[in-house]
Amino acid sequence: MTGRSLSDKCCQKLIQERDMLGMMVEAFTKTASEKNLHYVPTKAFVDHHNEILRRYISGEPHITSYFCCAPEIYTAMDLPWNTFLTPAFTGALMPAYHDEIDASGKMFRGMDLCTIIRLAAYIVEEDLVPPPSAVVAMIHPCDGINVVHQTMAKNEKWSKIPVFGADPPYWADKRSIDYYADEMKRMVEFLQKHTGISLNMNRLRETIKESNKQIKLWQEYNELRRAVPCPHGGAFGLEVFGEALTVHCGMPIGTNWLKDVVEDAEALVKQKKGPVPKEKIRLFWFDVLSLGLTMGLFPWLEQEWGAVVAMEMFGYSPYTQIDTSTEDAIFKGIARRALHEVPMIRQARGVADYFLEDIENIVKNWKIDCVIYPGYMGHKDGSGSAGLMREKCRELGVPFLYIGMDLFDDRYRTLDELKDIISKFFTSMGLG
Amino acid sequence: MKTMVKSKVLDAFNEAAQTIVNPQLKKWMDEGGKVVGYFCCYAPDEIITAAGMTPFRVRATGSKGTEMADAYLSSINCSFCRHAFNMGLIGEYDFLEGAVWLNNCDHIRRIYDNWKRKVNTPMAHMMSLPKLNGDKQVAWWREELEIFKKALEKQTGTTITDEKLHNAIKIHNETRRLLRELYALRKKANPPITGADTLAVVIASTAMPRAEFNKMLKELLEELKDAPGIKDYKYRLMLISSILDDPLYIKTIEEVGGLVVTDSQCFGTRSFWVDVNEKTKDPLDALAKYTIQEKPHCPRMFLGFPTRSKYVQNLIKEYKVDGIVALRMVFCDLWAGELFMLEQDLGKLNVPVLHMDREYLMAGTVGQVRTRAQAFLESLGGKK
Repeated sequence: MTGRSLSDKCCQKLIQERDMLGMMVEAFTKTASEKNLHYVPTKAFVDHHNEILRRYISGEPHITSYFCCAPEIYTAMDLPWNTFLTPAFTGALMPAYHDEIDASGKMFRGMDLCTIIRLAAYIVEEDLVPPPSAVVAMIHPCDGINVVHQTMAKNEKWSKIPVFGADPPYWADKRSIDYYADEMKRMVEFLQKHTGISLNMNRLRETIKESNKQIKLWQEYNELRRAVPCPHGGAFGLEVFGEALTVHCGMPIGTNWLKDVVEDAEALVKQKKGPVPKEKIRLFWFDVLSLGLTMGLFPWLEQEWGAVVAMEMFGYSPYTQIDTSTEDAIFKGIARRALHEVPMIRQARGVADYFLEDIENIVKNWKIDCVIYPGYMGHKDGSGSAGLMREKCRELGVPFLYIGMDLFDDRYRTLDELKDIISKFFTSMGLG
Repeated sequence: MKTMVKSKVLDAFNEAAQTIVNPQLKKWMDEGGKVVGYFCCYAPDEIITAAGMTPFRVRATGSKGTEMADAYLSSINCSFCRHAFNMGLIGEYDFLEGAVWLNNCDHIRRIYDNWKRKVNTPMAHMMSLPKLNGDKQVAWWREELEIFKKALEKQTGTTITDEKLHNAIKIHNETRRLLRELYALRKKANPPITGADTLAVVIASTAMPRAEFNKMLKELLEELKDAPGIKDYKYRLMLISSILDDPLYIKTIEEVGGLVVTDSQCFGTRSFWVDVNEKTKDPLDALAKYTIQEKPHCPRMFLGFPTRSKYVQNLIKEYKVDGIVALRMVFCDLWAGELFMLEQDLGKLNVPVLHMDREYLMAGTVGQVRTRAQAFLESLGGKK
């Protein structure tokens, strides 16, 4: 007996989130006159929350980690992982969200620290998340995430929870990948030691094979997004990312869902259908998405301007297949994916060239009319590359907009302000 | 509050702190000497010295604005970076033969990306500094040092031998030892030098040929040895900060009665508290171990907070500190977290902390800093 129960303070936020997502799942079920593609990913999060709660109460191992810390390994170990980032992404659904943002700002004596990071630290300080068996920290791509894990490690309740951080090199060459592959092996040793679960290499190989299939399907899907009109709206790429790199990473259920997505997109392309049948603007949104954007801004863009987000940072998939022939090849492949391919880490961790490469590739291949870099207040490194991005866009002949906003706090730049800024941009650039 | 000795050397150090190209550096360049810039105290300045060049820590002293840099960086990038890059863009750093960056923080690493494209510096070199401090990281950093050494050799057409590296380590260690000697004087009940002047000395150490600096600092130490101590202060303060290279900040605090006697900052103890091991056979091994495992770290190093906190606590005891002035550059995530943790530890020890967010340039904020420092010192009333 662990003496833990669902009424513990640390469970309440997760329960609230689960119930909110559960309501969405119910709505999808009821309105499923045609195949509802949102059902599986949303239900996956409900199941995930339930499993984390169950493990917390039973004392079975679960960890805290991230999409960029080789989730293929967690799948192969049957090890559920919870991320600190979720509260910011689901925040728009939660009643006390603004209060929590303000309280987190007070905690750090300032609001200029990344909102996702502040909230993550806050929920630990306030005991609003079930403590895991171990933490696999992310110590890149930004300063904020590095420091927030240090604050968590200092928290009284969490100070005895073992923490691992893989040391990220700044480069992505062979030397760096080899170095990071060793870090991945060190991570496995850490997980085995602190969860008591052994990694079976055959199981990992099968997981990677499944994950490779998912990546292939994702790329197929992205090929379909090149079509005019784009078959799905801007938020859909995030769901594809979520399935392939989070809750169903390397699992057949995720692969099947991706097949459905490709099938659906194919049909829409054949019928020349999409959320904006007569597309006027195809834009590239080069940063993270939040519910506030996907529920508020993106539908407005489609309806008001005939503008579709044809590609965004998390939906983009510059992945390579992982060679599963040897253990060494598997770890090197995992390292490359975790260090150099997963979204946000790929662009923000190292030199600014990756921002520029991605802009060039996406603008050319997805028939992009303009690039919007939101200038999220937490992404200091990206904002430090804004001038170079602008120059790249100029070179490619597409307009570039830098906004300056908080993706997770709609008071920093309200939806109306965003609409106004984007409208003026479209108008002045002769778009739409 | 003033340093109680008239000293031409101290005047020269203050001049170096208030300018970019000081007379000693100008003389070096006039005689054909080359200069390589660096942006952080983790940079291996010994290798630059070994290459026969002068390492110069890049500042934005005297900057008047960020208009040019703002076209590339943004309003959420720290003001040091914006000013420093602007100085590069307007040609203030045209004298550099090369510059070296590390991935020390999100802001500074982006100066590299912009600088190498927009500023006409012959060599722009980036180094990948680990965030952990194990032996594997020492080995990685040693490789980075080797790569940097080769880049400098290619740039200068010279060979950096082990002998040259050993000699450079000795020269830089002497700087460290002399600076520690200077700081030891500040342990006295009546230190002979102000915090503002001490900061000027440390800045000068990063802005002129090291051997020349060492000679000058020895002279100053002689002058300070029997100098009268400062008596007109109310409290002994410690400064904790990321980059602070403007003595005016400290001067403003000292003018209202708080004598800064020590610090944990990168233009301060963190850059010279420990020596590089001169006995290690391979000089690059010695430098790698020094950077990753031996020198005092800043918050970019992962999970090193307990050691950093202990370091601060030891200095508090050693220098009989009454209160802490903790400065954070606006938009610095690393120091937001560090000060959040540090204030918890210092609170438990009942050490008062004045937490001030600041911009790189002090212009226009002297009054605010003075008022906050005054209020802080008043709040210390009951502590003495």
